[in-house]
Amino acid sequence: MRDSKYPLEKFEILSFLITSLVFLFFLTIISFIVVGGFSSISKVFFSKEIRFSIGLSLLTATISTLIAIVIAIFISFYLEKVKFIKSPIISTIIELPLSLPYLVIGLSLLLIFSSPLGKTLRNMGIPVIFSPIGIVVAQLTVNLPYAIKLIRSELTKLDSRLEFTASILGANRTQTFFAITLPQIRVSIIIAFALCWQRAIGEFGATLMLVGITAMKTETLPGAIYLNIATGDTDMALAAALIMLFFCLVTLLITTILQKKIKVKSRYD
Amino acid sequence: MIKIDNFSLKRGSFCLSNINFNIEDGQSIAILGETGSGKTMLLESIAGIYRGNSGCIYVNGKDVSSISSNKRGIGFVYQDYCLFNHMSVRENIGFGLKVKKMDKSLIDMKVNEIAKQFHISNILDKNPSVISGGEKQRTALCRSLIINPRVLLLDEPFSAMDPNTKQILIDAIIDYKKKYNGIIILVTHDFKEAIKLADTIHVLVKGKLKATKTPSTLFMASENYEVNTFLQCNTRG
Repeated sequence: MRDSKYPLEKFEILSFLITSLVFLFFLTIISFIVVGGFSSISKVFFSKEIRFSIGLSLLTATISTLIAIVIAIFISFYLEKVKFIKSPIISTIIELPLSLPYLVIGLSLLLIFSSPLGKTLRNMGIPVIFSPIGIVVAQLTVNLPYAIKLIRSELTKLDSRLEFTASILGANRTQTFFAITLPQIRVSIIIAFALCWQRAIGEFGATLMLVGITAMKTETLPGAIYLNIATGDTDMALAAALIMLFFCLVTLLITTILQKKIKVKSRYD
Repeated sequence: MIKIDNFSLKRGSFCLSNINFNIEDGQSIAILGETGSGKTMLLESIAGIYRGNSGCIYVNGKDVSSISSNKRGIGFVYQDYCLFNHMSVRENIGFGLKVKKMDKSLIDMKVNEIAKQFHISNILDKNPSVISGGEKQRTALCRSLIINPRVLLLDEPFSAMDPNTKQILIDAIIDYKKKYNGIIILVTHDFKEAIKLADTIHVLVKGKLKATKTPSTLFMASENYEVNTFLQCNTRG
């Protein structure tokens, strides 16, 4: 950190100006949502449709994030610690959806679940297209590569000698994983959960393609914003946006606190 | 008895080549070498972390080269302790017994016993992040010794340690050697430590064992130029 007693250099002034401009721009965006949303927030509580969309978003985001984190832990462990088939193709394919537009992912999911596989699942009582299960599938597909990337980066940072030590002391791979690896990255897993949950709450593109937006059936919070704008009810759309903003703010606070906790911990370790 | 027979290992651009030595029960050896000479890699190979490209490692006459590290019955102490910071000191020490599914009361009893011997009974319920360096190293040593290893591998365990703590640890290691007729392999930069603890001293240069000496002949000129340079540099230092 620079000493404030020294005069500012040109580059420092430029960085300050850019930061200030971007800060003002984002503040304007947030202010529009907050000011517009607050004036009609009470309407939300009387709107059965919005209440449904809040409930559906919270439920699907929580389920899809839980599944994503569990699967991501296994895949990250394989990619970082096991790798008996060593191929960069595996990790490239697994992480590729991160850079794909969500509409494309949604289109692909729609084609997969429109195929005989989707029909078989429907006959088994697991409808994916145009059903809330489809929302979970869309959020999971979008979030899984992100969760894997977050957890993998933590596993890379983990000191392998801790696992070696556990192994030398007699622990097998499973014992080492549950007693050492997982507890060592537990805070990062919680952070990954919060970030993925936040993304799942805001997921729109893939969900739209796979399940559409049917009121009181597949209408999530982003879907509610879209529908209300489409029908000209800007107040309701802003109120729904304010609720999303609130969720994001809470998640951001949680992740910031946890990240600080990790920093403090590593300083004393 | 432990026998390293023509052991070679290549990792990246570094190579441990044709390592050979024997250690009888109750004996200890020291491996001296410069930073990057492959000392820690050799210890980790003996512990089973790396599998060699060729050669064998025998423990009590049995080839353990293909046996995983958790079944070798070896104790290992790293220079920077490698304590599990999400566990208390007590849990760290008892870890090796817990994974063997030993009864909790028995684990507690053994942990209390060894902690008393190493004068760390007062820190058992503390987190490793709040104890001193000396206490950390004693904890790491207790954790390795509590499983009664046949071989104890020590990777520069006394570096940056005050003389009192160092003496406590050296006494405990000598005691372990006598009591259990155990084998000790010590990796160190410190010639005094090597002389104090080892019966035989090997000098490792760039992944190859270049000289085998005893504490009394350590500073006698060797046939190998690199060994002489290493010994002279360290004597001067």
